Amino acid sequence: MRKNQAGVGLSIALALMIAPLESFAQPKKGAATSKAAAAAAAEPDVEAPEGETPSGEGDAAAADGGEAGGEAGSLDELCKIDPENCVKVDMDAASKRDIDSDMYAVQQIWALRTNRFEINPYFGLTMNDQFVAHNGPGLGLNYYLMHWLAAGVNGNVYAGLNSQSDFNFQTSRAARIGQPITEYQWNVNANATFVPAYGKFAAFSNFIFHYDFYVTLGGGAISTRPIAVVDPDNRTFAFSVKPTFGAALGMRIFFTRYLAAMLEVRDYVFWEDLENPSISSGLNSVGKPLAQDPTTWLAPESSFTNNVQAQLGLSVFLPFSWSYQKAK
Amino acid sequence: MRKATMKTKIHTLAALAGLAAGVAAVSSTTEASAQEIQISGPLAGASAVRRIRLHREGRFDVAPTATFTLLDEFRRNILFGARLNYHFTDWFGAGLWAAGGISYNTGLGDELQSKAVDGRNCSENPNTLACKRTAVNLCRGPNCLGDKQLGSIVWMIAPQATFVPFRGKFSVFGKAFMDADISLFAGPAIVGLRERVDCVKGTCAPSSTNPDPFSTASRIAPTATFGLGFNFYPTNNVSFGAEFRATPLAWNTSGFDVAGPNGSGADDALDSNDRSFHFNPMVSVFASVQLPTDIKVSD
Repeated sequence: MRKNQAGVGLSIALALMIAPLESFAQPKKGAATSKAAAAAAAEPDVEAPEGETPSGEGDAAAADGGEAGGEAGSLDELCKIDPENCVKVDMDAASKRDIDSDMYAVQQIWALRTNRFEINPYFGLTMNDQFVAHNGPGLGLNYYLMHWLAAGVNGNVYAGLNSQSDFNFQTSRAARIGQPITEYQWNVNANATFVPAYGKFAAFSNFIFHYDFYVTLGGGAISTRPIAVVDPDNRTFAFSVKPTFGAALGMRIFFTRYLAAMLEVRDYVFWEDLENPSISSGLNSVGKPLAQDPTTWLAPESSFTNNVQAQLGLSVFLPFSWSYQKAK
Repeated sequence: MRKATMKTKIHTLAALAGLAAGVAAVSSTTEASAQEIQISGPLAGASAVRRIRLHREGRFDVAPTATFTLLDEFRRNILFGARLNYHFTDWFGAGLWAAGGISYNTGLGDELQSKAVDGRNCSENPNTLACKRTAVNLCRGPNCLGDKQLGSIVWMIAPQATFVPFRGKFSVFGKAFMDADISLFAGPAIVGLRERVDCVKGTCAPSSTNPDPFSTASRIAPTATFGLGFNFYPTNNVSFGAEFRATPLAWNTSGFDVAGPNGSGADDALDSNDRSFHFNPMVSVFASVQLPTDIKVSD
């Protein structure tokens, strides 16, 4: 008889343990299940306990079994067992509210960007100029109007960091040609950033990190000048500002909800003034050699230039924490 | 009657004990999240990821590839080939990549041909200063740089091991989802090069006995290769992606005499001293088929 009594108790316990765990492991169900889950997921004004950081979930967890659907009786019992983790829901008030039947594929994104500022210090490395490297630090500032759209500015400082390569020397010497080269001082840009894709990776099935891909379009100004190689005895150039525009493709890997490493390849496009490859001979109207006349120093036509940079840095998102509008 | 009441109480207590155990089990699972493995509770020590589709384990991966060299100085190379891997586990595989292809002048190569070769026309004006000073370094004639002087990568064979430390998924606008992983690969490589033929001092420039000493020859260079791949799996059997590969190697891309023995300057001879070290970065794009078609799923 006692065996039977214990068996009854264990059977009930087993049934209760298995039922919810099984439902968590279910694959996505059809529309009917999703609707029920959506109703539960649309539960408003569920607040995390004070001082607790928000815990996000990248998946459609609620759709997987309706784990967000609570009943008042069960909640009361749970609250008695574990008051600290009690979720306070006014079921009567909640039941009267309109239900948003939209079901999101991804809920409570772990690193939410909406209404956050991004501070992005980075270092840029030249990728396509074999003659002069235009490396330098930069800073980007963005405000995310939406999770996938940001407006912002960025700027680079190149002054003092331009360096001519051995390749430039070797080619000039071997072929006896003077390749027109330039140096950069700074640039600034206004940008729109789109984040169409994000995901998460598990490293060795253990540590999970989140990442996203983004595309940036922007325009601004760049200050550059030619380096005199054809007639350095007579020619010295001042920096001048040109309009620039371009695009970037980048990736961020989040270490925390507010700190990420970023790598971006950006093309700054502009029309560059190059040194005139020929030296004017003769005298001008006042008897001065034409070679010393600054109007003869630049090539007659501007050169369409792509300055492709790899930009490697960090992204810090402010504020550091936030509250989700909806429960999982 | 008392016995019956007692029995009922015992049944009730047993049922309540079961209920309490069940509630405890349920309440302890509600805190689990994908990012944080609980320190205590039923998920303690559990794998961070479950039910992963094992796109690689026990499968062959066959992929035609198109490879484009990057940061080229004078010649750009496009290599067409294939990759065959077998994955012993979902995180480790071994295989072979082989490719061969074509090359063409970069903008700088074309500019050199136009200004320094065609513009000077040294065949007709051999005694000008520029032609005398570049006699060892620049060929003469139309398209001669690409045909007879500049170096190019003709083919590559690379047995390689592939490691897949990062495995995850990918969402586009929160609507479309794909499995994805990042792979690292490394291995020895054999590179087939085409370079300007070596020559000793006095024989590298055009002369009455040898008016055209410029020509290229094949060289096979053993080296190593390594890189990083991004792989996306729209279905259980097909994937696509891109690989970034470096193949460090010293070779003479220009056909110029730039150095002599022991780090000295140009010595009017073409030899191994004129080779310079390059990482030879290249990017491959591919579409891949995983075989067999059945896919395993982890616990």
